[in-house]
Amino acid sequence: MHPIQPTRTGYWVLAILALVVLAPLLSLLAQTILIRGESTGLPFWQSSYIHRVIFFSLWQAFLSAVLSIVLALLVARALAHYDTFLFRGLLLKLFGLPLVVPSIVAVMGVVSVYGSNGWIPLGRSLYGLNGILLAHVFFNMPLAVRLLLPVWQLIPTHHWEMSEQLGFTRWQQWRHLEWQALREGLLGISLLIFMLCLTSFAVVLTLGGGPKSTTLEVAIYQSLRFDFNPSRAALLALLQFAVCFFVACGSSLFHKLPDVEITLSNTRLKNKSKNQVINIIIILIAFIFVSMPLVSMIIDSINSSILVVIQQPKLWFSAILSLFIGLAASSLAVITGWLLLDTSSDLAVLGRKRKASLIEILGSIVYVVPPLVIVTGIFVLLSPYLSVFDWAIPVVIMVNAMMGLSFVIRTLGPAMRQNKMRYKSLCDSLALTKWQRFKTIEWPLLRKPVGLSSALVAAMAMGDLGVIVLFGTPEITTLPLMLYHQLSAYLMPSAAVTAVFLLFFCLLIFWLLEKLIGGK
Amino acid sequence: MSITLKICAALVLSLLISNVSYATKPTLTVYTYDSFTNDWGPGPQIKKAFEKNCNCTLILVGLEDGVFLLNRLKLEGKNTKADVVLGLDTSLTADARNSGLFTKHGLKMTNSALPQAWEDDTFLPYNYGYFAFVYNSDLLKKPPTSLKELVKNEHGPTILIQDPRTSTPGFGLLLWIKKVYGDKANQAWEKLSRRIVTVSKGWSEAYGLFLKEEAFMVLSYTTSPAYHIIAENDKRFVAAEFSEGHYQQIEVAGLVEASQQKVLGRQFLSFMQDEIFQAIIPTTNWMYSATLPKTSLPDGFNGLVQPSKTLIFSDEEISQNRKKWMNEWLEVMSK
Repeated sequence: MHPIQPTRTGYWVLAILALVVLAPLLSLLAQTILIRGESTGLPFWQSSYIHRVIFFSLWQAFLSAVLSIVLALLVARALAHYDTFLFRGLLLKLFGLPLVVPSIVAVMGVVSVYGSNGWIPLGRSLYGLNGILLAHVFFNMPLAVRLLLPVWQLIPTHHWEMSEQLGFTRWQQWRHLEWQALREGLLGISLLIFMLCLTSFAVVLTLGGGPKSTTLEVAIYQSLRFDFNPSRAALLALLQFAVCFFVACGSSLFHKLPDVEITLSNTRLKNKSKNQVINIIIILIAFIFVSMPLVSMIIDSINSSILVVIQQPKLWFSAILSLFIGLAASSLAVITGWLLLDTSSDLAVLGRKRKASLIEILGSIVYVVPPLVIVTGIFVLLSPYLSVFDWAIPVVIMVNAMMGLSFVIRTLGPAMRQNKMRYKSLCDSLALTKWQRFKTIEWPLLRKPVGLSSALVAAMAMGDLGVIVLFGTPEITTLPLMLYHQLSAYLMPSAAVTAVFLLFFCLLIFWLLEKLIGGK
Repeated sequence: MSITLKICAALVLSLLISNVSYATKPTLTVYTYDSFTNDWGPGPQIKKAFEKNCNCTLILVGLEDGVFLLNRLKLEGKNTKADVVLGLDTSLTADARNSGLFTKHGLKMTNSALPQAWEDDTFLPYNYGYFAFVYNSDLLKKPPTSLKELVKNEHGPTILIQDPRTSTPGFGLLLWIKKVYGDKANQAWEKLSRRIVTVSKGWSEAYGLFLKEEAFMVLSYTTSPAYHIIAENDKRFVAAEFSEGHYQQIEVAGLVEASQQKVLGRQFLSFMQDEIFQAIIPTTNWMYSATLPKTSLPDGFNGLVQPSKTLIFSDEEISQNRKKWMNEWLEVMSK
């Protein structure tokens, strides 16, 4: 048998990512040195303002992530143990939705529910850490549930049977079966959510009550807009990247990939526990929590402008363009994610786990480099040679795919590694070609996580506002951009209609993608 | 397999969509902000009206706001596509002029409707307005009558404002308070901050929250009520008149030095002073026309608050102090 070499594709993916991220960053750094060369006293990273900002960013992201994950574990466990729940499928689709809601709409939804005239009025105490956490849990808890739930299916049936024979208590089951299975993915998912909260901007600023709640992302925006100091923006972006890198590496030290081979079983968890009451209560509370802001959006959308908005041809064109961007970004993200994971999972199987997780970390934390910085850098870099405005759509697709990579790595990564652990030696001994292996072994077993990750990325890219807004070509309007335009033109009622249209449209796409790619 | 096909199709399609080629007619590219270019802004009507006579193609590019507009131009430098930049305001014109990226317009403004004389030889105004706190007169019966009353009265109405780091009206309020309070601005902010419900990223968030009745007043423009009167026939929304006067924002356009289409650019700038252009502004940009007298504006504009005094800093003064003032503000508000 010839020695097994890990696939090299992952390195290519990393190299391309490095180019796409670093080239624009460097161009911003260089630009400022050339045109200004201003220096004022203290370097900015020694200013107390930046220290406060870094501390606050990390603190709120940490709290938001912990809260989202803990709650998500409760909800996911309840859903796993009570899988005959009638509206389970619908509920899970619903849980994919907060991801697509543009942050400004989510802020309005949260305020409708918890604002001073809301259903659960929190008054002014909403504005501050409370509001930030509420909004972040609304965004991320459902996502974490979606990502965690498949893990329960990885627990082999005979383990459950054994635990029952041994008379395990609920706690012991959790400790010895569920926790063991969850451990592998949990850290990665926590990191993903930490990053999502770290880069949160409009939510933090608006619900945070004022400049006390300033994140690094705001400071970066401020450097590019108000201070016009692109090199500082680039440095802050690098700083944010570095902070995330350290958090990721630090936490991976405490994190051991399972050594034992995990059996893939498609059997459903057969929990004979009679006590489903708690599970039902948890599911209900989660359902109410997630659906309230969405329902308030639907209520807001029932107004006299409904017909006018729906009949605009532009709405439908925008929907098609959004769909196209979403599908293209998600295909690109899934393909590059697959190529990257191919290498990292090979390495993991060969026992080089450090290197494997380093590759995955690098691939996923690209997420924290703000699109604003990348796109501004692209303008600086390319505008001498071509009209960047004409390339709006490819750039939007590329940047969104890059952001989506993080989701792909989290959803597909563990499944791919387990697939390799189980079948790699078999494939090697049968000398299957790459294509044969893909067709017969990998695709049938991995299409489910592929379906989920493509649906997530498509939804995220369809809700993108941050990238598309930087181009400003009126002919190119996506749904979120249209919504944003309506909001800036006093058309709050029309915007409410557009928001709900976007929601339903995304729900449909989410459902289709999971169904078509993921199979039954 | 299907994914591979999909991505190929995606790439091909994206190239098709984006490489819109424009015919051989000369092209004039105007960088502006996106509430100007979108369907509900003045952009589409102005494009149509200008193209009728210019035998050219007018391309409007809508960036996030005036500040981004200037920054983008600085970043692109000589390689910029822009021939004209429309949407800077008087807090940016000094920086813009000193950047050397603009050239003199060489036009005369004969029919100014501004309350002051206009002498800038680089930039020409197209509309103006005043910042104001807007309230719902059904909910707030006794609005404050001066900025000092708003600041001082501890039991006064709650307010929503925008962040000066991220929003133009937000920075406008910073200037307004500086103008009225001078060196005591910090103390004023400290007092006021207790009644600020939140400081939002942009105008839309604050105004949206205001319509959801999260606070009694929102920082906006004296002309905002005109929208509700004209488009919604709703007379509840009123701008509070402050006895110290209101801070003024004048929005301007200028010709880019690196432009290859200066003749066409000048033609656009003079079209901007024309009645056709100006008549579009009030009910799309919801500001006062720079050249049409107030009496010729639509009905909804007639009953609006007329500031007793126009407050404004010179653009040079703002250029020299903007960072200092911002840091002071951040210091006070981050406590």
